[in-house]
Parts: sequence; C-alpha cells; structure tokens
Amino acid sequence: MVDIGSGMVAIGAGIAIGLSGLAAGWAEKDIGTAAVGAIAENPKNFGRSLVMTVIPETIVIFGLVIAFLLMGKI
Amino acid sequence: MLLPEKMSRILIVGSKDKLKDTTEVLYNLALVHPIDFSEEEGLALGSPFPEASDSSQKLLKLRALEKDLEIEEPPFGAKLVPVTEVESNLTSTIDDLNAEVTGVVETKNQTQQRLAALEADKRLLMPLTSIPLDLELYSGYDNITVFTGSVRSDPEPALTSAVKHFELFKSKNADFVAVFVAKGEAAEAQRALVQNGYSEVAIPSRKGTPELLVKNIEIEEAEVKQALSDAEQKISKLRTDNRAMILASEEHLSIEVEKAEFPLRIATTKNAFAIDGFVPTKQVEKVQKGLDAKLGQSYYFEILEVKSRKEEEQKGPEVGHEPDVGLETPVKMGEKKPISLFNGFTELISTPKYNEIDPTNVIAITFPLFFGLMVGDVGYGTIFIALGYLGLKKCTTDDWRTISTMLLFGGIWATFFGLIFFGEAFGMPFAPHGDEITWSSLLGVELPSSIDLGGINTPFGIYNKLEDVNQLLYLAAWIGIFHLFLGFFLGMYNIAMRHGLKHAIMEKFGWILVLLGMAILLPVIVANLSNIMGLDFGSMAVIIPVVLIIIGMVISILGEGMLSILELPGLLSNILSYTRLAAIGVSKAGLALAFNMIALEMLAPMGGVGVVFGIVIFIVGQLTVLMLAIISAGIHGIRLHYVELFQKFYTGGGTKYSPLRVVRKYTSER
Repeated sequence: MVDIGSGMVAIGAGIAIGLSGLAAGWAEKDIGTAAVGAIAENPKNFGRSLVMTVIPETIVIFGLVIAFLLMGKI
Repeated sequence: MLLPEKMSRILIVGSKDKLKDTTEVLYNLALVHPIDFSEEEGLALGSPFPEASDSSQKLLKLRALEKDLEIEEPPFGAKLVPVTEVESNLTSTIDDLNAEVTGVVETKNQTQQRLAALEADKRLLMPLTSIPLDLELYSGYDNITVFTGSVRSDPEPALTSAVKHFELFKSKNADFVAVFVAKGEAAEAQRALVQNGYSEVAIPSRKGTPELLVKNIEIEEAEVKQALSDAEQKISKLRTDNRAMILASEEHLSIEVEKAEFPLRIATTKNAFAIDGFVPTKQVEKVQKGLDAKLGQSYYFEILEVKSRKEEEQKGPEVGHEPDVGLETPVKMGEKKPISLFNGFTELISTPKYNEIDPTNVIAITFPLFFGLMVGDVGYGTIFIALGYLGLKKCTTDDWRTISTMLLFGGIWATFFGLIFFGEAFGMPFAPHGDEITWSSLLGVELPSSIDLGGINTPFGIYNKLEDVNQLLYLAAWIGIFHLFLGFFLGMYNIAMRHGLKHAIMEKFGWILVLLGMAILLPVIVANLSNIMGLDFGSMAVIIPVVLIIIGMVISILGEGMLSILELPGLLSNILSYTRLAAIGVSKAGLALAFNMIALEMLAPMGGVGVVFGIVIFIVGQLTVLMLAIISAGIHGIRLHYVELFQKFYTGGGTKYSPLRVVRKYTSER
C-alpha cells in the first residue's frame, strides 16, 4: 500500500508534466499556425519554421525533468 | 574541409565574336559561378544570341504540346535520348506532332462540348417525359396561358378552388406540372401555383414527343461518348509514343535557350564582353586551360582576388557600402561522402556563409548519434538500416535521400546503443530482468548479460531505460554540455576568422567559461539533489564554478552589452533541453513495453484466437513505435542542432555555388 506522502509526490509529478505540457502546447499553437502559413507561402521556410515551432517544447522538458526528480523521491 | 571551398574571383574579357565559344567552354567546364551584371556607365547588358528567339518559339510550341498531351514525369528508369537524335528530329517532332495533336485535341474538345450540350438538353426534357403531351402543344395559343414547372406539393386543390377552367397534367410523383388556364384567370392560377412552391421551367422550343426526343439524345450521347473515348485513346497513344522525345526536346531546347541568353547576365560594350565570376581557387587553372584550348591568345584572363574570409571593418561614411564577403561569395557545399549526404539538413535552414564552418560536418557526426541514442534498440535499428540503405539506393529526390541518410546512419548507432548500452530489441531486454517479459523468457533460453570479446568484457545492456531514468537524464545533460562546448568553440573559430581573436574572445570565450562553471556545478547539484538547501556554499566545488560563471558573464557583458545577462538562463535551459535525449528513449520504451505486455503476456497465453490477436497487437504496436521513433527521434535530434547548437556559431544565409552547367535528365550527350 502506498502511503499518502508518496501519493502526493506522484500527483505532484503528474501536475508538473501535465501543466508544462499544456503550456508548451499553448505556446506552440500560435507559432505553428504562423509557421504553416509561412511554409504555404514559400516551402523554403520549412527549416526556420520548424526551429521556431519547437522552441517552446523546452518547457515540457523542464516539466519532465521535475517529474522524474519527484518520482525519485517515492 | 570544415570550411567552404576557397573561391577566387576572375574576370574574362574578349571580343564579342568570341563570346559564343567562351560560353560553350564555360558551360562544358561547369566551374564558373557568374556574377549577374547590373548596368554601369559605359557598359551595357549583352543581347541574346540570334538563335534564342527561334529556340524560344519552338520551346513554346513544345510546352503547349506537353500541356495538351498532359505529359508528366516519365516512368522511373526511362531511357535517355541521345542529343544527336533530338537535334535531327527536332523540327519534325514539333511540326508533325503539332498538326496531329491539334487535330485530336480539337476533336476531343468538340465532343466534350457536344456531350455537355446533350446532357443539358436531356436534363430539360426528362421531367416532361411523364406528361403525355407533344412539345408543340405547350405553346401557340391565343386564349390559353400555359404554366410548366416544378412544384413542392400537389397544386390541384388550390387550383380547383381558385380557377374555374383549367386542365392539369402531373408527372407520376406530382413534382412537375403543366397547367393550361384561360388567359383571364392566369393571375389566380399563378397565385395558386406559387402557394405550392411552383418554380417555372422553360419548355424547349422543339417538336415531337419528349420521350422520343430523350431516346434520340441518348443514342447520340452514346455515339459522342464513343468518339470522346476514341480521341482520348489517340491522345494517350500519342503520349506514350512521344513522351520521351518531347521531354528530351524540351530539355535540349531549354539548355539552348539558357545558353543563348547568357549574354543577358554579363557586361558588354559595342565590340567586347566581360564575364565576372567566381571559381574554386583550386580549379582556376583548369578554367584557364579550357579557355586557352578553345580561344588561344584571343582573350584576356585575370584573377581579381582570392577571396579572403576576413570581414573588413568599415570606417567613415562608407559603412555598409561594401557587400558582405560571407554573403556575396558563393559557397560550394562539400561533396565528400558520407558527410555530403547530410547537406540537406543544413540546406533546410540555409546555405552557410563563405566565412564560417560548414555545420554539415557537425550534423553528420552528432545527429545520427543522438538519433541512435534516442531509439537505442537493436530491432528498430536494424529495420532503419535496411530502410535507409534501400532509400539511398532507390530514391532520387533530395528530401527522401536526406531522410534515408538519417535512417541509415541513425540506425547504425541505434543498433550499437541497443546492443551494448540498453541490451534490448523491440522494447524487450535480452537478459532476464525481474518479472518483465524478456527475450530470455520468450525464447526459453537464458541470454547472457555480457559477453567476452577478445579479453574485453562487452556488456549487453548497461542501463534499463525504464529503471535508470535518472542516470540517463544525467548522461544526457553531459552530452548537452559537450555539444554546447563544441558549438561555442566553433563559434569562436568563426569569429576569429572573420574579425580576429580579440573579438572571438570577447564574444564567445566568456560563454565558454560560464558553461565550464555550469559543468563543474552539475555533479555537485546532482549529488545534493535530495537536500539542495543543505549544499555547502563555502566549499571549493561551489566557489570555483560560481567564480567562473561571474568572470564569464563579465567578459560577455563587456563584449556584448548588458543584455547578455538575459542569455544566462537561456544557456541553462539549453543544457536541460538535451535531457530529451533520455526522455524520448524512455517514453518509447514505455510504449513498446505496454504493447508487448498486452500482446505477449495477456493475449498470447489465452491460446486460440488470443494468439492471433496477440500477433496483430504486437505487429501494430511495434509499427506504431517504429513510426514514432522516426518522427520524434528525427525531429528532436535535428532540433537540438538547429536550436541549441546553431545559435552558438551558425549564421547562414550564404549564396549557393551554382556554376554555369548543363543538367540533363532526359537526354545524353553521346
């Protein structure tokens, strides 16, 4: 049986990754929209658009790292 | 090799009567990248050779033919047409074909139009067929008004109450009516009809029974359809018979036109021409020899300068007047395999500048490594190697070749890491591992966790992706630090080359010190992770890195200004960003494990149908993981280069080296 403390830590890890995932998605949404527009205008923009689009992804990586660190405490 | 090839700027001057020969030589050499001339005093743009207009006209006709015949790319591996054959058949190809094709295409268009007209007629007559009246009976009355049209509901009750004398004809399902009313009552009748959703349909001004007319139309329709399919067959035959010749002729003429219009790109006077261009320094002699062989002494050749990679500092009011060396000088991307296979990844961002390290060299080494680390599985790795090898053999487009390159080299590393580092295939470890399903338990043989190879103990699996997550994250952070170090050193080299060592130190060395400080701090933080507040801030392990970071920041602020403070957290997030190398491997391992558990532990032991479902789930699951591996490992691997690494040293935006040359796809010179 898992004690309440461990459960709380697990919930914390879940929140860390869930919220940071949402945040990354939210941030990426607008950039992605603009990027698709730019690519439609000129396919040569693909590379640059890709770079711009994935920049907010780092946010979710932070969440992931925190989640792993928290899980290590259980 | 790391830098783009050294370029020389050359000048070729000669009298105009030699221009044609010179053009021919330059196209054959395929080495000179001309600089397009913009008009200056005393010099004018050249005018095209006389044959340009004739060739252009022919080209126009050919392209019209191509459009009429709907010619697209020929099937893979089509035979090349020799240039001599193209030349001798050019006039006949164009003129004869043109006459033939124009005739057939016209017939096709006419039949299509006729068919459309017939269909429209038929649509008009169809509703009338269910009313037993000839067409001429609908018109020509002095005292009777005729209403014909569709209705939504039966108008009979409304008409009966509104009009005294009328005759009503209804189609079978009462959605089409013909009403004959005395002229005096026309307005009432119309009102009654409109109440029932009447909308008028004009009667075609023809004679005879509608049914008979429709029948006749149908007969003609069949004939026209036959004629249309005949014409289409003829066109399709013409297409298959002449596709190779038309494509070859078009290519030949395009080349002719391009050559004939070359004078438009250079400077001329009344009697002379001057070609200004870039040639790889190593090849200058070859160009000179080629010209000598054809023109003898009757031209002038000069090497204006061997382009230096240093950027001159602008002083005084002339700032910005001189074009940027790095942008203006064309860049020849490396051609040495296997590194050149990765050129596509660099081009995706932009062509490198003349005075910076070609990042393809870095991508070619670390990108497959990252890809392999993220996939880290013998099973997927082997499949990637096979796919990549096949792709490089069969694919001709640059995009697919680039993807195949990633799969082949990434697959090699994935197999390596899968074998030594993680010891697993298709998400299952080799050696027995707790209750988990492994290849050992699946095959019923105990596979070793390491093997002795020539006295060296080679392990099969050091880390388990799902259990040693923290170690993997730690390892990934270290990979990130080394990768960023590489980026900063390359950046320092680039700046030292452009502006001298002092600038390089001011701009990049500070950041190298900061990164070094962070690198020293990393193990200290990781060791005290559970009790970060209890960290001994007085110990050397903390003081040294903090001092390094401060010195580094001071240098950066002096070099780049106060704003560089804002980049400090950016560097930290860069390092953390590399932890995705571990995270993606872990998430894929989790996914594969889930599929394997469902298929092999839950379904397969049920026997019978369970085994079938188990196999289906196993295959579908593994394919899913495989696809995700390509997409996520590929995108994240290349992203780490584009975003984290390139920021440290790469500018891009250079001009691509595109020498005068003839590219033949459908024709061969011999």
